[in-house]
Formats: sequence, structure tokens, C-alpha cells
Amino acid sequence: MPAVSHLQSAPAAYPDEIGVEVSNVTKSFGGDTSRVTVLNGVSLTIKKGEFVSLIGPSGCGKSTLLKLVAGLSEANGGSVSINGKSVREAAKDKAIGLVPQSPALLPWRTILDNVSLPISINPGANAGRKLRDPKEILQSFGLGHALDRYPAQLSGGMQQRAAIARAFVFDPEILLMDEPFSALDEMNRDQQRMGLLDFWQSNRKSVLFVTHSVPEAIILSDRIVLMASHPGRIAEIIDVDLPRPRNEALYASDAFRDLEGYVRSALRKVMEAARV
Amino acid sequence: MSDTVATAPRRNASGFTMARIVFDWGPPALTFVIVAVLWQLVAINNPYVLPTLDAIGNSLASDPGMYWANLLVTCQEVVIGAGAGIICGFLLAVAMSELPIVEKAVMPLIVVIMVTPVVAIAPALVVAFGFGMLPKYIVTGLVVFFPMLVNSLAGLRDVDQKALDVFKTLHASRWEIFRDLRLPGCMPFVFAGLRIAMPLAVVGAAVAEFVAAGQQAGLGSLVTIAAAQANLPVTWASIALLCLLGVLLVSLLALLRKRILWWSDEDVIGR
Ligand SMILES: Nc1ncnc2c1ncn2[C@@H]1O[C@H](COP(=O)(O)OP(=O)(O)O)[C@@H](O)[C@H]1O
Ligand SMILES: [Mg+2]
Repeated sequence: MPAVSHLQSAPAAYPDEIGVEVSNVTKSFGGDTSRVTVLNGVSLTIKKGEFVSLIGPSGCGKSTLLKLVAGLSEANGGSVSINGKSVREAAKDKAIGLVPQSPALLPWRTILDNVSLPISINPGANAGRKLRDPKEILQSFGLGHALDRYPAQLSGGMQQRAAIARAFVFDPEILLMDEPFSALDEMNRDQQRMGLLDFWQSNRKSVLFVTHSVPEAIILSDRIVLMASHPGRIAEIIDVDLPRPRNEALYASDAFRDLEGYVRSALRKVMEAARV
Repeated sequence: MSDTVATAPRRNASGFTMARIVFDWGPPALTFVIVAVLWQLVAINNPYVLPTLDAIGNSLASDPGMYWANLLVTCQEVVIGAGAGIICGFLLAVAMSELPIVEKAVMPLIVVIMVTPVVAIAPALVVAFGFGMLPKYIVTGLVVFFPMLVNSLAGLRDVDQKALDVFKTLHASRWEIFRDLRLPGCMPFVFAGLRIAMPLAVVGAAVAEFVAAGQQAGLGSLVTIAAAQANLPVTWASIALLCLLGVLLVSLLALLRKRILWWSDEDVIGR
């Protein structure tokens, strides 16, 4: 049984080591007659400890791309690797933490037991990793008082936080999040994204984060990948050169506003191009 | 914190007052009283149609041992027959959900058996297996088998896809997915199946006894024998006991459900 480590500040980003490599990936759905290409020639790398957001019109293939990286579906062409290994190998090593769009907690388990789940599943892959103490991770997500509660007894925001804690608890090398805050109201969203920002800044992992909120993408990310649709492809990759650690104060800065304006207009161009 | 815990179920003081009790129990009690009065009116004016309630009560009181013995036989059929049917139905559902080939191979046969009236099978089983308990177990088992199979299968298939995605990214084994996701997740459906199966189990046992009446005891046999002799009080006392057995089973099930399935009842957990 590997020792459960205490929460500790993780090393800063390892500047140049590649975490995730997506190269020239193609994905299509449907039969021979009604085949639809959803992703066409998508290439993307995420460095270790880098936070990358995916943004783009709805239906452009963001979730599809995330599922390919998660190993939940197979590409028709191209390849995906995680730390130089196939997605399958990475999953065997429990290298992937997934935060789905809905919290997807098990209603019959307490919050603590939900967050402990990834430790008990596929226990062979626990050897030699720094498992976190589920109680401590819940405390650091502000859920210390709710350990013995059941998901239905918590608000949507708290459930989503528990789902994020569940993804961090087994110390995966890459986290995949598909619009984790989209079901929350605006006040709650902001609180949750700040919580994630704080936690991630002291526990840096590679993250691929799907969102449809421009401010959310900017405040969290190192890079923003802007996707276009029909077929889904990368239109532009935007560097977010804002200093870290970041906090709410950043929203008010000129640099943030300038970047927000830029990303919004880039997004608008992509949407207009799709309409023609 | 702004997003504090949703309010717990409120048990306000008035929940246990007299007014509350009257409000909850009054209307159904009134219905029963009205039905009882109507029954008595019919029974007194038509002695060959219905026995009076007091005649039924007297019959029960005059020979409790006989009723008890017959009730036990029917209970035994329900417990063993329905128990086996429930377990088999659930296990086959597990096999079908885990191995599609099993479903493909077995489902057509299941459908054929399902549309065959059990009432018609019962005499054939008696011929085949004699007047002992076995044909009664089989008939009782058969009637509960299908609702269990169909509901359990629906439950095992109705997994939360997003939760399944989480399990898959962890490279969970099929056994882990079954143990931690499908099995607990299918319980609401299993209980829905049981809710249908329990009253049916009593029907199955009674039907089997009709067919094999006279040989082995049982409330169903008692009904046929007494009816043939136009002994209305015994007939209706037996029917009342069958009904009581059904109510008891359904109530036990509701208790069990509350213990096991509290998490799926939103009014219990208080959202
Ligand atoms: N399993 C599937 N079968 C067929 N089409 C699909 C499937 N999954 C996604 N699609 C299609 O692929 C496109 C992209 O979907 P998705 O990745 O969910 O978009 P996004 O997450 O960017 O909103 C959509 O047009 C959707 O209808
Ligand atoms: Mg999506």
C-alpha cells in the first residue's frame, strides 16, 4: 500500500516535457452513406504542468477531442499519446483524471467514498504514486464539513467540486475537464473556477479544459485553443501571457481586457466563417 | 459559504399532531368503512352471494389452526418458489447484460414462455410432477421470473454514462464496473420489479393450488374446496388471508426498499 501523501505544493511547470501529444487526428461518425467528419487533422501538444483550454462554437468537436484523449473513443486517423505512451497504456497506469460535464457522483456513496473511488479502482496502478488523502483534498476544496453527506444533499457547485477532487485524488498526470462549470449559475461558476485555479496553481498538472466562456479560458489557461467547425479543426492557438499566480484581480487588468477582446473577435470570426 | 447544504428534510412539529394523523389516515379509513357497510348490506340481503363479515370472522376464529396451517403452506410456496424465480431472473439479467450472446440466444425462448398463460401451464406441470410442492414452486417462480428479468436488465443497462466514462478512464475491470456501478445502480429497477413480482407470487401460488386442489393444503386449495361446497365464509376467509399475505409482502418490500434504496428517494434525502 503506497503512502498517502499530504497536500503539498507541486513543482512548477516542467517547461518543455510533453504531456499530451495529439497529432493529425481525424474522427468521423456515421455509416458509409451518411459519414460526418467531426475532427479533421487536429494536432496539439500539452506540456507537463500546462493548462490548455479548448473553446469554439458548440458542436465543433471539443467533447469528441476530449474523449479521444481520454481513451473513451478511437480516432479514425492520426494518434494520441500521453507521456509518450498510448492512451490505453496511460489509462492502465491511471494517468488520466476525468471531470465530466455533470458531476456523475455515485448517489449511494458519501462524498468521501465518492472521492476515494479512484483509489480503490484498478488498485494495481497505485504502486509508486503519490495518492492524496481524500479527506485532505476535500478539505482543501472547502468540503471538509460534507465528508459524510450524500451527493443529493449538496448543491450543484459542491457536487462539481467533489467531482474535481475525485479527479485529483489519485494524482493523475493529465486532467481532462469537459465544461465542468457549465451547469452552474454565474456566481457559482466564478467561485468554482477560482477554487480550481487556486488548487491547480499549487498542484500543477497537464489540463485540457473545455469551456465556452472566454473569461474562464483566459483566467485559467496558459494557452487557448480556438476551434472551428464543419469539420472540427484548430483555427488558432492563443498564448495567455498573464503572470501567475493569478486571482480575481486579474479580471480588472488592461492586459486581461485586451486579451478578452482579442479572443472574442477571433471567436466571432470563426462563427461567421461557419455561417457562410 | 454561499452554496451551503441544501435544506435537510424538515420534520416540523405539526408532522406528528392529531390533525396530521387524521388527514393521512382518515380518507382511506373512510373508504374501507363505506365498502364494509355496502358489503354487509349486500350480504344480509343476499346470503347466497356474499357471507357477512361477522360470518367470515367467526369462521376464522372457530378454526384458526386450520387456516394457519394452510397459510403456512402458501407462504412456503411463495418464499421458495418466488425466491428461486427472483434469483434466477436477476442472475439471467446479469448474464444477459454482461454477455450479449446470452441475450441473443435466450431471449426468443423467454418471449415464447412469457406469452404462454401460466394458468395453462399449471395443469401440465401437475401431470408432469405430481401433486407435490414442486409444480407449485415452478408456477410461482415462473410468474415472478419475467418481471424480475425485464426490470433487472433495464436497470443494469441504465448506467450513468458519465460515471461509466470516469470508470473507464481509470481502466476499471468489468468486475469493478459491475460491483461499484451497475449493481448498486440497478437497485431501483430491481425493486420496481419486486413490487410487481410480490403480488404476482401470491397469484401464482393460488393458481397452482387451484389446479392441484385437495392433495396438499394451501389457501388456494381451501378456496376451491370451500367454493365447491358453497361454503361462503370459508371461501372468503381464505381469500382474505391471501389478500393479507399480499399486503404483508408488499409492506415488507417497502420497508426493505427504504433501508436499501433511501438514496434514490429524493423526498427522503431532501434535495
Ligand atoms: N457518438 C456520436 N455519433 C454521431 N455523431 C456524434 C457523436 N458524438 C458527437 N457527434 C457529433 O459530432 C459533433 C461534435 O460534437 P461534440 O464533440 O459533442 O461538440 P462540442 O463538444 O464541441 O459541442 C456534433 O455535430 C455531434 O452531433
Ligand atoms: Mg461538448
